[in-house]
Amino acid sequence: MSQENPNSRPQGQGRPQGRPAETGAPRISRVDASVASPVKFFFASALLWLLVSSVLAVITAVKLHLPGFLNGCEFVTFGRLDAIQRNVFFYGWASNALIGLNLWLLASLGRFEFRNAWIATLGGLIWNLALTIGVAFVLLDSQNAFELLELPRGVAPAFFVAFLLAALWPAVAFARRPTSHVFVSQWYILGASFVLPVVYLLAQLMVLWCPTNGVLQALVHSWFLQNFLFLWLGASALAAVYYFLPKELGTTLTGYYLSTVGFWTLFLFAGWTGPATLLGSPLPLWIQSTGVVAAVMLLIPLTITSINFFGTLSRDSGWSRAWNNTTLRFVAFGLVAYTLATVLQIVFSARSLNAIVRFTAFTAGQQQLLTYAFVSMVIFGAAYFILPRLTGAFWPSAKLVHLHFWSCAVAVVGSVAGSLVFGWSQGAALAAAKPFADTAHPQAALLSSACAVLFLIGHVAFAVNAFGMLTSCSSSTDEGRQA
Amino acid sequence: MKNLNLILAGVFFTVAAPFGGLLLGGHAQLGALGRAPAEEGGPLLPALEPGLAIQGRQVYLQLGCVACHTQQVRPAGQGSDIAQGWGARPSVARDYVLQPQVALGNRRVGPDLANYGARAKSDAEIAAHLSAPAAGSAMPAYAFLFSPAKDGSLQPNERGAALIAYLKSLRQDYSSPEAKLKQ
Ligand code: HEC
Repeated sequence: MSQENPNSRPQGQGRPQGRPAETGAPRISRVDASVASPVKFFFASALLWLLVSSVLAVITAVKLHLPGFLNGCEFVTFGRLDAIQRNVFFYGWASNALIGLNLWLLASLGRFEFRNAWIATLGGLIWNLALTIGVAFVLLDSQNAFELLELPRGVAPAFFVAFLLAALWPAVAFARRPTSHVFVSQWYILGASFVLPVVYLLAQLMVLWCPTNGVLQALVHSWFLQNFLFLWLGASALAAVYYFLPKELGTTLTGYYLSTVGFWTLFLFAGWTGPATLLGSPLPLWIQSTGVVAAVMLLIPLTITSINFFGTLSRDSGWSRAWNNTTLRFVAFGLVAYTLATVLQIVFSARSLNAIVRFTAFTAGQQQLLTYAFVSMVIFGAAYFILPRLTGAFWPSAKLVHLHFWSCAVAVVGSVAGSLVFGWSQGAALAAAKPFADTAHPQAALLSSACAVLFLIGHVAFAVNAFGMLTSCSSSTDEGRQA
Repeated sequence: MKNLNLILAGVFFTVAAPFGGLLLGGHAQLGALGRAPAEEGGPLLPALEPGLAIQGRQVYLQLGCVACHTQQVRPAGQGSDIAQGWGARPSVARDYVLQPQVALGNRRVGPDLANYGARAKSDAEIAAHLSAPAAGSAMPAYAFLFSPAKDGSLQPNERGAALIAYLKSLRQDYSSPEAKLKQ
C-alpha cells in the first residue's frame, strides 16, 4: 500500500482553496469531469435536504419548550416531525453527500475516468425519489418505533437498489482496476459501501418485513444503527480525512503503516457495539456484555486514527496550517469531534455510567457529536475542496464561508455541550431518586432552539454560496479566492 | 486493486460475525419465546391484548409517541426506574412476545409507560391529559383525537378510543418466570 502522496496527482487539478491559482479559475480535470454530474447531483440534493432538515430541527426544538407551537393539525405533531427530521438528515443530507464524496474520492484516487456516470446519477434519482415518497408517508400516516427505520418498508427495496447503483457498484468498479497504488481511503469507502446495503437489508427484513420475536427487534435495530453510524457515516468520513489531511498539508501521515490495522479493527468491532446502547434492557445479559466489550475494543482503531491524524497535525505547525485552510479547518474540527465521540462511546458503555445517562439528552448529544461535529463537518470541508474542481468556479463569497464555519461550529459545540451537561445532570438527579417531573431542564430546550437557529443560519450561508457556484460557472471575485 | 477480494471477504466476515454472534445467537435463545404462567397451572402471561388495544398500538406508533416515551423498566441496579415507580419489577423479554412491533424507545422526555395501564386512572382522565396536557408539560396536545360532546365531556374518536385502550393495556405487573414480583 502506498501513501496518499500529494505530489502524485497530475498537475492542473485546481488548487486548494487556501492557495488559489495565480491566474484564472480552477481547471476541471478530465477525471473530475467524468464524475462531475453525479457528484454535483448528490451534493445539490444533499444541500436541499440539509435545508429541509434544519428548518424541521428549528420547529422540533421550539416545540420542546412551546408544545403548542405549530400544533394545529396532526401532520405537524412532534413525533412525526422529529422522525422526518432525523430521516431527512441521515438519508437526505449525510448519505447523499457521502455517496457523492465517495464517488469523487474514488475517481481522484484511482485517476479513473468514469465511463457510465449516468448509472450513479440514476441511483441518485431513485434514492431521492424514494426518500421523498417515504417522508410523505411518514407525514401522512405510517411510522414505526425504530430510529432510521421509520420510513415505510416499501421504500427499502428502492433504497437498496439505489445504493447498489450509486455507491457499491462504483466502488467495486474502481477497485477492480489494476493499479499499483492502494489507498486506505479506498478501503474505507469499499467497506462502508458494502456494509450499509447488507445491514440495511437485513434490518429491514428482521424488523419490518418479517419481524423477529419481541425485544429481538430492538437488538437488530441497535446492530443496524451502530453499523450505520460508525461503518457507513463514520468510515466514509474517515476515508475523506485520510485523503484530505496529507494532501492539503503536503505531507505524509504519521504511522501510515498502522492505518490498515485501524481499518480492520474498526470494522471488526464496531458491528458488535449495538447492544452497548441497550444496557438495562430486557435483552439477555450476555448480549449486553458482548456489546460493552466490543465498545471498549474501539480503543484500538481510535488509537491508530489518533496517531495517524493528530501525529500529522502536530508536526510542522500542522494545526495552524490546518486552521488557515478552509477544508482542513472543518476536517480538523471533525477529527477532534470523532475522538471525543468515540471516547464517550467507550466510557459510557460502562454499566454504572450508562445507567445514569441512558434515556436522557446525553445520548442525543453523543450521536450529534459523531454525526454532525465529525461527519457533517468533514463533508463541509470536502465540499469546499471538491465543488470548485467540478464547476471550474471559486466560492462566490469568503464572508459566507466564515459565517458558515462559525455559526455551525458554535451551534454544534453549544448543542452538544448542552445535551451532555443537561443530560448528565438530569440523569444524576434521577439516580438520586428525584421525582421525574422535577428533573427536566427547561433551559436545555431553549439552548437547543437557539442552536437550531444558528445551524439554520450556517446552512443557509453554505447553500447560498454553493448554489451560487453550482449555477454559475463564471470565475469568482477576488474576495472568494481568499476564502 | 489487487487486494479487492481480500478486502471484500474481510469486510463480509466483519458483518457476518456480529450478525451470527449477536442476532442469530439472540434468536436461538429468544426466537421461540412464548407466554408462560407465573406458577404451575396459572394463566398464560402476558395476557392477550384486547382488539382495540392492538389498534391503539398503531396509533401510538403513527403519532411517534416513542420519540418521548420508553416502555422498559430497568433492573434496580441499572438506573432508578423502579424507584421512580414505573414498575414493580424489571421488564423481561417475555413481556414483549405478543407485540408485533415493540416500542422500547430510547429517549425519555416523558415518563416510562411500560406500566402505565397499572397506574392510569379513569378513561376521562387519560383523555383529558392527551387532549390538553397540563401547562408546563413538554407533551403536545392531541386534541384531534377528541371532540367535545354536548354535555361538555370529551368524546374520543375512533383512534382516540383505541389509543386509550392501548395505554390502559400497558402493564407488566404480573410475576413472570424470569422476574417474580416481591410478595
Ligand atoms: C414532546 C414529547 C412528548 C410526546 C411526543 C408525547 N409525550 Fe406523553 N408526556 C410527555 C411529558 C413531558 C410527560 C410528563 C408531563 C405530563 O404528564 O404531561 C408526558 C406524560 C404522558 C403520560 C402520563 C404518564 C404518567 O405516568 O402519568 C401519558 C399516558 C403520555 N404522556 C402518553 C403519550 C402518548 C400516547 C403520546 C403520543 C400520542 C405522547 N405521550 C407523546 C412528553 C411527550
